[in-house]
Amino acid sequence: MSWRKSIAVFTALALITCYSSTLRGMFDQWRSDEDMSHGFLVPIVILWIIWRERERWRSLPTEPSWWGLAFLALAAGLQFGGALGVGLFAGSLAFLLSVAGAVLCLGGFKWLRALAFPLVLAIFMLPKLAIVYNQATLPLQLLASRIAAGILTVSGIGVIREGNILDVGGHRVAVAEACNGIRYLLSLGFMAVVFGYVADSKTWMRLALLFAAIPIAILANGVRVAAAGWLPSLEAGTPHEVAGWLIFVACMAAVIVVRQLFNKAYVHYR
Amino acid sequence: MHKILALFLVMGFSVCLKAQITLGSTVGTFGVLAGTTVTNTGPTVAIGNVGVSPGSAITGFPPGSVTGTIHSADGLAGTAQTELTTAYNSVAGAGPSTTIAAALGGLTFFPGVYNTGSSFGLTGPVTLDAQGNPNAQFIFQSPSTLTTASGSTVVLINGAQASNVFWQVGSSATLGTNSFFSGNILASSSITLTTGSALQGRALARNGAVTLDTNTVTTPMGLGGPPPPLGTPAPSSLILVTTALLGVFVYQGRKKIFKPFITG
Repeated sequence: MSWRKSIAVFTALALITCYSSTLRGMFDQWRSDEDMSHGFLVPIVILWIIWRERERWRSLPTEPSWWGLAFLALAAGLQFGGALGVGLFAGSLAFLLSVAGAVLCLGGFKWLRALAFPLVLAIFMLPKLAIVYNQATLPLQLLASRIAAGILTVSGIGVIREGNILDVGGHRVAVAEACNGIRYLLSLGFMAVVFGYVADSKTWMRLALLFAAIPIAILANGVRVAAAGWLPSLEAGTPHEVAGWLIFVACMAAVIVVRQLFNKAYVHYR
Repeated sequence: MHKILALFLVMGFSVCLKAQITLGSTVGTFGVLAGTTVTNTGPTVAIGNVGVSPGSAITGFPPGSVTGTIHSADGLAGTAQTELTTAYNSVAGAGPSTTIAAALGGLTFFPGVYNTGSSFGLTGPVTLDAQGNPNAQFIFQSPSTLTTASGSTVVLINGAQASNVFWQVGSSATLGTNSFFSGNILASSSITLTTGSALQGRALARNGAVTLDTNTVTTPMGLGGPPPPLGTPAPSSLILVTTALLGVFVYQGRKKIFKPFITG
């Protein structure tokens, strides 16, 4: 093994050791929070992308930059804040910054640029930022309730909405905190970016798919709640899981269709 | 003017009919709750918590056994007493009520609010018929006492739930020997379960004692009222993303998946 590879391996081990408690915290959240359980797959997808682009890395020149130390210092500050009680999110962000800093120190800006996409993808495995999650939860719950009530009304099914509770002919469905749609948003956002990477090399397309995933996920969650209100058998158990899964498959199909539409428009107006 | 008044009265009547009694979540965990003392004799089995507040004396456990926890003048028992007062006032104020005779033995009741000007006496079987509605409530109001005879029973049929039966007792309640009683007893003063009587419900005394003697007290799961509506969370994101990844791989084909982009 060359000394460069040895240093890279040593740096990776050092980072894992330094951030072991943070990584354990992330792992625990992936295991315990069903909104975040896709976190297990994110490192696998990142490793697959790195492996897929292996020819590209090999051709890059190695130009170490001292700016990497600035990244590492900033990350150390964040990690320190995380240890003082700022939270797991700060520590996890510090880990990503440290990885970026290490890449700069060992490879330079061209390497960092080449690794930018996997690093951005890694954001999807960060823990939920509590302050954002808490602020977004209730509006998303109410939005899902409104969309579901609207869908049921348009479909000719009588529904009374009281806040986040739908009463469909005496059958009541609550859009609880866990039903706010964040699970669809995170999962579909991640998949839109991955699909954008696999299907298209254009950065704007990947960003466009990510933004398109937001309304698709919100609408799909409303459809899911409406389905549970319309058919009580879809409210729990296996039918409920299957319905949620099928609607997500439809969401992915919608992302694929959106990409084709964007591509057609791009070809047409170019 | 009279028409408007009548409309308001009808609306108020409708609201009253729809209003459902629900116990607080803390008092709901208690099978036995007293204001002064809980005294037990013999191998009583209490499924649920047993507590007292503001008094602190709980005796007779063992030989009695409690599947929950014994709370003696602690914060939880205090909260339960506060919730009991709220529930007692709600049950006492429920209406409109149907006035019935004091002797209930041999009668069948449908969901509703029943009131007697004096005391309740059960001398035989009493049947509560929910007519297929598990959320149906039976509310019995007595400004005085509730007394059941030896061997008397309260039978729940057609979906009736013990958690949805409320007995508001203005003074004290006494269950006769070897009787079987269903529902939540909310007594202003004391409650006595004589030898061998079984209670499928709760014995909740606001100001007095609860006295037990070789009884079985089974606390129902529900708190009364309709069950909370179910939430509808989506499948876990691990399942969703795994499916989507497989879909993307299939969509793009094996060659494209493993072939990198030629990007700058």
